[in-house]
Amino acid sequence: MPINITAFGQISEFISGTISVDKVNDTDSLRKHLVVQFPSLKDINYAIAVDKKIISVNTLIEENATIALLPPFSGG
Amino acid sequence: MTEKKHKQIFIHGAISSSFIAESIQKHSSKTNIGAHSIFLGQVRSDSINDKKVIAIDYSTYEEMALEKMHELREGIFAKYPLTCMHIYHSLGTVAAGEICLFVFTSAIHRKEAIDACEEMVELIKKELPVWGKELFEDESHQWKVNK
Repeated sequence: MPINITAFGQISEFISGTISVDKVNDTDSLRKHLVVQFPSLKDINYAIAVDKKIISVNTLIEENATIALLPPFSGG
Repeated sequence: MTEKKHKQIFIHGAISSSFIAESIQKHSSKTNIGAHSIFLGQVRSDSINDKKVIAIDYSTYEEMALEKMHELREGIFAKYPLTCMHIYHSLGTVAAGEICLFVFTSAIHRKEAIDACEEMVELIKKELPVWGKELFEDESHQWKVNK
């Protein structure tokens, strides 16, 4: 299924817009899939937000979920 | 069901001193307030490998940030007896020397205002999805890391 993934901060320099990933149904498999497609991710300690909530354990990705890739915050 | 609208905290560009002055002025009618505490974050011109930072370009995941800020605000109000609290963060380019963060807490007595202000600044740095891109003189950049 196509998953709508939005990237922020430094990750937005190499991932932008909606990227389509197949055979991915949870956040752990998404991570594995993304690092193959975007090897630069290997060096970034990023969090994943599913529907605006940062997840701390492997989470199922429902259809139409909004996924965001969040590198460490640096506001203020 | 419509999504709840959260209070806007983002300002495009630097936060001006006149904006800050007006915010203070607006509280003169709230005469139960005895103390204000204000934190102002200023863009610092760090030197990294002999290159000077001339500005920071801020971006956010706005929907998530406003939701998170609502949650942080409720937590602070539950913990401290504040009269009010105002928070503004810049987006876009803010030059070195300009203000990019304004946290303003008011209470009956100073201790609550000071403690709440300090805690809120720490929470913003740690939990608000905002990213700063440090821009150098030679048009190169690096992503800021919060300490």
